[in-house]
Formats: sequence, structure tokens, C-alpha cells
Amino acid sequence: MKKECVAMLLAGGQGSRLYALTSHVAKPAVPFGGKYRIIDFPLSNCVNSGIDTVGVLTQYRPLELNSYIGNGQPWDLDRSDGGVHILPPYMREGEQGTWYKGTANAIYQNIGFVDLYDPDYVVILSGDHIYKMDFADMVALHKKTGAACTISVLEVTLEEATRFGIMNADENDQIYEFEEKPAHPKSNLASMGIYVFTWSKLRQYLIDDEADPNSSNDFGKNIIPNMLGAGEKLMAYRFKGYWKDVGTIQSLWDANMDLLTSDFSSGFNLYDIEWPIFARSPTRPPHFTGKDAVVTHSLVTGGCEIYGTVEDSVLFHSVTVEEGAVVKGSILMPNTVVKAGATVEYAIVAEGAVIGENAKVGAVPEGDSTDRGIAVVASGVEVGAGAVVAPKAMITANVSAEKEEK
Amino acid sequence: MNNLHGIIFAYESDSRLRELTQHRNSSSIPYGGRYRIIDFMLSNMVNAGVTDVGLIVHASYQSMLDHIGSGKDWDLSRKHGGLRILPPFGYADGKHQATYGGRMDALAGVYSYIQKIRQDYVVLAGGDMAVNLPLADIYDFHLKSGADITAVCTHKPKGDPRGCIYFNIGASGRVSDVSVRPQLAMGCESLDVFVMSKSLLLSLVEHCAAHNIFSLSEGVLQPMSSTLRIVPYVYDGFVARVQSVAGYYERSMDLLDPAIRADLFNPSRPIRTKDQSNPSTYYSPNSRSVNSLIADGCVIEGEVENSILFRGVYVAKGAKVSNCILMQSTSIKEDVVLKYAITDKNVTVEPGRMLMGHSTYPIAVAKNATV
Repeated sequence: MKKECVAMLLAGGQGSRLYALTSHVAKPAVPFGGKYRIIDFPLSNCVNSGIDTVGVLTQYRPLELNSYIGNGQPWDLDRSDGGVHILPPYMREGEQGTWYKGTANAIYQNIGFVDLYDPDYVVILSGDHIYKMDFADMVALHKKTGAACTISVLEVTLEEATRFGIMNADENDQIYEFEEKPAHPKSNLASMGIYVFTWSKLRQYLIDDEADPNSSNDFGKNIIPNMLGAGEKLMAYRFKGYWKDVGTIQSLWDANMDLLTSDFSSGFNLYDIEWPIFARSPTRPPHFTGKDAVVTHSLVTGGCEIYGTVEDSVLFHSVTVEEGAVVKGSILMPNTVVKAGATVEYAIVAEGAVIGENAKVGAVPEGDSTDRGIAVVASGVEVGAGAVVAPKAMITANVSAEKEEK
Repeated sequence: MNNLHGIIFAYESDSRLRELTQHRNSSSIPYGGRYRIIDFMLSNMVNAGVTDVGLIVHASYQSMLDHIGSGKDWDLSRKHGGLRILPPFGYADGKHQATYGGRMDALAGVYSYIQKIRQDYVVLAGGDMAVNLPLADIYDFHLKSGADITAVCTHKPKGDPRGCIYFNIGASGRVSDVSVRPQLAMGCESLDVFVMSKSLLLSLVEHCAAHNIFSLSEGVLQPMSSTLRIVPYVYDGFVARVQSVAGYYERSMDLLDPAIRADLFNPSRPIRTKDQSNPSTYYSPNSRSVNSLIADGCVIEGEVENSILFRGVYVAKGAKVSNCILMQSTSIKEDVVLKYAITDKNVTVEPGRMLMGHSTYPIAVAKNATV
């Protein structure tokens, strides 16, 4: 059946700058914010915006992501027509199939999927940003201006602009130039990697791009410049609000900590009933705080058992913090255990890791440095009793007290 | 396909539950921070591989329907079988306008449903008890023991005797006598969970309907304990029956004991409930939470001690909550002092108010009230 709008979510990235956290899962499947995975944010934005057909393009380590998305039921995307679909690269008859060569090629390989719904517009999203956005509002602007492409932009400082793809636009927000990470930015409108295209236009540009052997088949590098060069109308959609790329250990930690701002004005409000973020979460009993527990300035999730001290931290479900243990400025993913007397400071501890008795992971950074020196313990790793894990260390195998890790 | 069918009696209500059953029946009372009592028996059945469950309701079941929905949170939304809600049938002839006279009366009311059951065995259970039963073992025990009826009971009575049934177990290991609602507990307390064959159930329902017998305990178990082979299955784990406000309060506070939680929330037999996509609970920099069970989606800015908080509860700065049960979306405003109170869903306590009950008589504040 025809749909006015279909969303395509690029979820194939490895997220190599998250190192140990993405050694077993794709970046969009990385746990975030106590109850979620990163992909819940763009998926929930789709549903809350009234988009009921979403293609999720996977490539790197897709198993956990596939089973997480399942039939889409937690997002109300289990539809009889439309719904959420996982789209991996595939083989074709008579020719070799290929991996997704780039963001544009990923969509090109799935033209057939989009055509099933014969949409007027396609929203292209990436699976590594934390934000709330009404795509319906963006599509409305796209329709009103009659653009071929509308690009969501964020106003950044000129200093920050050197790290982004920058859109140079006229007074009506019509884009006339795109510059990737300009040394001398002319504008402060940074691309958020969120695009609305008129499907008939995009479809043709994808086919032409594929025919160009020199193209890197990327939206930012190829499709957008090609459209500008051909004189298409490209509009900037100014987004205001919280938006964060969580592609690095530091930014992932920062974004989790942003959830702890109590007035929700500068951070991200998860408690907004008008714009709920949905997740597939296991049913766990409520969390328990013991007689000597101290829990302040933190997020705590079902199934946790806290007998020690937890400050300035984000705890996912079923985390145990034993007596005398201290957790500070840290992110503890599901099923992690911090044994008695252990200290975990400024660290990210991945799923199922165990911090042994009196072990010490990370440290509170000295001074006012923005580099917080986050230590990372990979999933399933055991840090032995009394072992010490230095700040900024990345632990991917079991460590014991004798073998100190730097 | 599993050969056991589930029937849950979810029509019963107890007047001693006062405000808690003003808008609902006993089975849909919130319990344990995020559950309804019915979740436990439903989960017990699903965890034993039961795929078809009939839920007998009579009155005040809106809250139940809202909670259960299609049954998808228990994987009971199926193309074949799954969950069937069974409201009274045939109001037109004047029958069953009043509530059912007993469980046999309720079963007679859904006779045509029982006839169509696909499985050879049926487990009958009340929906007003929080327990994590090894129902797969109980079913297995029934098949091996050759019993006509397997009756689940406990050596550790927890209920009010005047609302319970007790089994006297004879030398042969069979139930030799049944005491119904005595003044004092005697023998094993029945958990009111019975396994029998579909054919026996059908013949009992026909017999009772023809003889105007309404009660399962007094009309079947008591008079037939010598002719039917009723074999006890003893389960001594944690059981919470909801019969009165004070009992509800005590059984809730039991959950602050880690051993009891480990029993009731045994991870190999998870208790499922309606998913509400709540975020994690937020603790502000000056909050305090001690010896408490707190569900997701709460915002804690004040102090909480010895309490159970359901999903989406707000405790403002300066508020002190101790020995309380705060149900879903309760809002405790600034500087409130609350002790030994049970607040139902959506209760608001305005700034500075003080409410204090006692462990023997906790104050219950009815749904949607503002103090």
C-alpha cells in the first residue's frame, strides 16, 4: 500500500571509536540511558512523528540488533502493512552482491524496498544520535518549500563548525553550498545527518551515483553536492533542542550524564509523556536499596540491588552493588556486579562484567579537564579481587590483582 | 502443544480490602511495585508452558481488561488459543446478575467454554495470590501420582483462617478431610490451585449445576474427599494472599526481605506484567532511599525509607516517606510527611500535609484522591 513517508535508518556502522563496546554489537545496539539502546531514539522519533514504515539497514554485527528489534512490537511497529524491517545487504541473481559501500549505496541497494510503499518522501536517519525530533514538522517544511531535499541543521559555534559538515544557506534557509569540516566556516549550520528527500528525485540521484565509478556512494560527499550542482532546491531545517552524537567513549559518557540534570532544561528529559522513548526491556522487579545504601544523583533501573554507594551514575537493569562498594560518575550496563568494597569511578562497565572485591576501576579526574579519562571494562570481563584498572584503560580480558592493567 | 489448560478465577473481591477494591476486583490490585496480583498466576501458567488460559471475570473488571489487554505481555495473544476473557454470559434470563455463588457456579457459567478446551488437563487457580509456583512440576506430579485432583497447599499458613480452606492429610497421603473457613488454622492451608482432567472437571460442573451446588470447597472437595482421590502437593515457598488491607500491607512489606524477593522473583520463572516503557528512576543530588523497593519511572527528590514505590511516583524535595506503599503515579509534594500509608493510583498529597497510620491499620487513600 502507498505510504506518504518511509524512514530509512542507517544502522550498519561499526562505531569503531567506541572500541570494546562495539566489538560484539553494532553501534546502534549499544545500551544507553539506563533502559535504552541508541537506536530507540530514532525509532521512537519515527513512531512519535507518525511514520509507521521504517527500514533498518544493518551490516556490521547485526545479530543482537536483529533480535532486539524483532517484530517491532515495543515501538508499536508490528503492523500488518509497513512496520519495521531489517535490511541487510543481499545477493542478486547473475551478479555478485556487495556489502553496503556507503550510506547512499545502502539506500540504492534497497530501492526495491522503498518502491514497495511508493512513498512521496523518504526520511534518512542515522542510528547514532540522541535527540527528540518531530519528523512530521520537517516533512511539512519540505512540502511547503517544494524542496528536493531538506537537511536538518543545528546551530553550533564557529569553532565547533570546523568539526561538522556545514551548510551555507541564504536568508530563506535555502542551501547554496555544502562544506565538509571547513577550516574557515562561513556559516554555523551543522548537518545532523537527517535528510528528507522527495523519493522520485533521490531515486534518480542514487541510480546516477551508482553509475559513477569514482563516487564513494555517500550522502554527504556525493549525493548532496551532486544535487546542489544540478541546481536542485535544498532547504535547511533548523532544529532546536538536545542533540548529541554518541560516537566516542567520551561523548557516550557525556550524553548519559546529561540525563542527570534535574531541571531537564539543559539535558534530555526522558520523563516527557508527550514524546516517550520506547524500548524492548525485560520484566524485572523494582530495584532495591538496602539499609546502608546511598543513592544520589543517579538513574537506577529495575532488578538492581544496591547495598553500597551510588553517586552521579547511570545503572541499567539487574546491576548489583554490594556492601561498601562505591560507584561514582559511572555507567553500569545490564547484569554487572560490583562486589563488596570495590570502587568504580568515571568508568563504563559493559554488560555482565564483574568487578571483584576491593578492586578499583578508574578514578575521579583531577582538575577541571574536559577529558574525563573514562575507563572501559568490556562485556563479560572479570576484574579480579583487589585488581586496579587505571583511568582511561580499556579492559577486554579478565584481569587479576597481580597483573595490573595500565 | 502443552496438554494443560489454565482457568483463573478473577471475579472474587473481598470487602475487607476497603478502598483498594473500590474500583477493581482483588485480582487486579497492584502488588510488588509494578505488578497486579493476577500477573503472578498468569506468569505461573505461561512459565509452565500453558498456551491457553481462560480468565473468569464478573464485575468491576475494567481495570483488569485495561491491564491484560490482548495478553501479549504474557505471550498469550495467539492465533490459536491464548488468552480468553470470560465475562458472565446470559444476563438476559436474570441469571448471574449477582456475583457467582462459588467457583462451581462460575464454571457452570462458562460451561460451553470448558467443553471446547483443547487440552486433556486443566489447572484451576485464583487470581488473587502472589506466588511463584513450579506449575510444570505440579502438572508432572499430577500425571505420575494418578490423582483425580491434585490440590496445592502449604505447611506455612499465611492467610486469615476465616477466608481459607484446610486439608487434613490421611495416612494414605490423600486429603482425608476438608475444613472450610474455620476459626483456627488446621492442617495444610489450601492455595486453591487444583489440577484435574478436563473430563472430570466437566462431570463435576454438570453434577453441581444439576444439584444447585455453587461451591468447589463445600460442594465438591468436602463431600467427595472419600470417593475422589485428592492428593496434596505441598509448596512451602512465599505466598501472598490479599484478603484485607492490613494483610496486603504485611505481605507487601515482606518483599523488602531479599530472600523472599529471590523466591517470588525467581529469574528462571520470571513474573511478567504490562510493559509501560518507563524510563529508569531518577534520584536527585539530595535524595535518600533506604530499605525500599522502587519501580522504574519514579523521580525521587526527598527521602524514602522502608517503602514500596510503584511506577511513576514522584517524591518532592523535603518530603519524608516511611513505611508506605505508593501506587502508580502517586505524587508526594514538598515537605509532606507520610508514614504507614497506602496511596492508590494517581493520588496527590499536597505540600506540607502529614498522614500517619500504624502498621496494624495503615491508612489507605483511594484512587485519584487529593489530600
